[in-house]
Amino acid sequence: MTSPSRAASDAAIYSMLGVGAIITLAPFVFGVVTSFTSARQFATGTPLQMPDPPTVANYTGLAEVGFGRAIAVTALMTAVIVLGQLTFSVLAAYAFARLTFRGRDAIFWVYIATLMVPPTVTIVPLYLMMAQAGLRNTFWALVLPFVFGSPYAIFLLREYFRTIPPDLINAARLDGASTLDVLVHVVVPVSKPILVTLALITVVSQWNNFMWPLVITSGPKWRVLTVATAGLQSQYNGQWTLVMAATTVAIVPLIVAFVAFQRHIVRSIVVTGLK
Amino acid sequence: MTALPDLPNRRTRPKFSTLVVLSLAVAMALLLTLAVVLGRESEPPGLTVVTVRLWDQQVAAAYRRSFDAFTRRHPGIEVRVNVVAYATYFDTLRTDVAGGSADDIFWINNAYFAPYADSRRLVDVTSALGPHAPAAWEPSVVGQFTRDHRLWGVPQLTDAGIALYYNVDLLSAAGVDPAVLDSLRWSSDDTVDTFRPLLFRLAGDRTRQWAYNAANDLQGIYLNYIGSAGGVFSAGDRFVFDNPQAAEAFRYLVRLINVDRVAPPASATNDNGDFSRNMFLQGRMALFQSGTYNLAAVAANASFRWGVALLPAGPVGRVSVTNGIAAAGNSASPHPAAVRDVLAWMGSADGNAYLGAGGAAVPAVLAAQRTYFDYWAAKGVDVASFFYVLRGPRISAPGGAGFAAGFDALKPYFDEMFLGRLDVAQALAQAQTAANAAAKR
Repeated sequence: MTSPSRAASDAAIYSMLGVGAIITLAPFVFGVVTSFTSARQFATGTPLQMPDPPTVANYTGLAEVGFGRAIAVTALMTAVIVLGQLTFSVLAAYAFARLTFRGRDAIFWVYIATLMVPPTVTIVPLYLMMAQAGLRNTFWALVLPFVFGSPYAIFLLREYFRTIPPDLINAARLDGASTLDVLVHVVVPVSKPILVTLALITVVSQWNNFMWPLVITSGPKWRVLTVATAGLQSQYNGQWTLVMAATTVAIVPLIVAFVAFQRHIVRSIVVTGLK
Repeated sequence: MTALPDLPNRRTRPKFSTLVVLSLAVAMALLLTLAVVLGRESEPPGLTVVTVRLWDQQVAAAYRRSFDAFTRRHPGIEVRVNVVAYATYFDTLRTDVAGGSADDIFWINNAYFAPYADSRRLVDVTSALGPHAPAAWEPSVVGQFTRDHRLWGVPQLTDAGIALYYNVDLLSAAGVDPAVLDSLRWSSDDTVDTFRPLLFRLAGDRTRQWAYNAANDLQGIYLNYIGSAGGVFSAGDRFVFDNPQAAEAFRYLVRLINVDRVAPPASATNDNGDFSRNMFLQGRMALFQSGTYNLAAVAANASFRWGVALLPAGPVGRVSVTNGIAAAGNSASPHPAAVRDVLAWMGSADGNAYLGAGGAAVPAVLAAQRTYFDYWAAKGVDVASFFYVLRGPRISAPGGAGFAAGFDALKPYFDEMFLGRLDVAQALAQAQTAANAAAKR
């Protein structure tokens, strides 16, 4: 039987968790509810009103303004960057974790130091580089700055690779495995959780990337989801119902990915102590 | 003795790790091929594509219909519309023009066009379309986009003047005849002021219902007050709003919000341009001072009886701001002849009339404005108040080199002033210094 003081403390804890959950989830719920509300009801009713009647006009409206292309561009950009980042980050992290060469640690820490530079600082030089190379408003400009790995990814993987028992790698070497064999047969299979986590982090950050695509592209050709969503707002009209439909569409793939890989993510957090 | 079986095969079969690397390369190649396919231009050979950039989805739909008609007359030219969010429009336009990837034609407003004109990034319209072309366009908009005696854009839309939308039901509940609205006068002298006493009658409970949308709103509210107080906001490329007349106007507005509480708190309106309009549409605001840019939204969404009256007169009379939008030609466009043809179409009555046909915006081509008036007449809405006010004196919409940076710099001071946390005189002095310093940079 639970003592009264224990019950009271449980009630307090659950109340706090409940409040936290409401604060965290309410914006999403409002967003989804608003996306099914007509523009007229949204303008004339209160924000907490349920759609009456619910409408899908906002979703069909998205199709009319070319939102489908923005989804395709974003998906393609994200896929290329995730594939590139995982490949190059694994190679670099393995080199920093397991290969021995002169200046290895110095190079690693100099590279990692770039984590301290805010991304907004590098936007102008990156823009100039892309403009000089004639790559403005191209797919290449969208992906090139990110496709070759990131300091964060390399740091994360390096730390994980260092936890792999050296005996495992030495045994493979004794069997005649090359560095590539070791990576493919030993390192990558035992690093699945961290790779899934990293892939998900990359997907989320690239899917939601706004500033760089906004600066480097113009026009509908290479417009990504975030920029297309901002484009729904006009000078005198926020068009919030359309914007909420767009953000709902934008978060669905992320939620699906999270649910699908949840197990791996939890495991990687357990294994790496990642916070 | 038997020979070793399939040894040669085993030697030639690629290793698993090699296969993995190859698969990654193939996957990347496939993705990049997809990108190439997605980026392929669907431009038939021999066709010139002219792109037009603007920031309004509703007007973009009207433009598409207009450009379809244009292409029927000019089969060699296709015009594509590119809508960019207003919030980022002028930031991206700047980088695109500098980077050489701007659209062939783009919308521009009075606040931002000066640096482009000064750096000769725009087509000189008078030279391109002839000296008589401007006679067909709204003179106030032509004036706005004339700099150094040259016209730098083809006028597309005009906001006409500012007026008072009113809720008939709330007025009758307070026993107010809508006819009195046309003769209202605001003044800091209470013996002359007829506007403020009326607002007290219309104020409701002052928490869920308000009388009026006094707010930190440049075009809809405070420029008109400054003008009707006899003050000025800007002169040339400089901000000069720290003058006694402007201070009188701002004091009046700040008092309505923070002392009389007949208008929503500035905390609700400083950063939400839609707040007052939505309150009006919800039947929680009796008078909503705004322009034709909100007419379509009010007509579509108001579920009560409403009308439009003249905005209140001030110490020096009834003064409204008027503003316009022009289509500027990109002087670096690779097909200037096609750009000239499209600009000529956009400045013609036939091409411009599409913009007024849906009632969303007032065409700036004089002969095309009939479509706008016909649309609202058919709906039973009298739009005369928006135009009548322009027969009197006007205050010009501010603009000039550095305006955007200056306006960003003054906003925090104005926000504090409207919140009632910074004295009006102090706020205007500090804001003017900050705005001019930012504009100079």
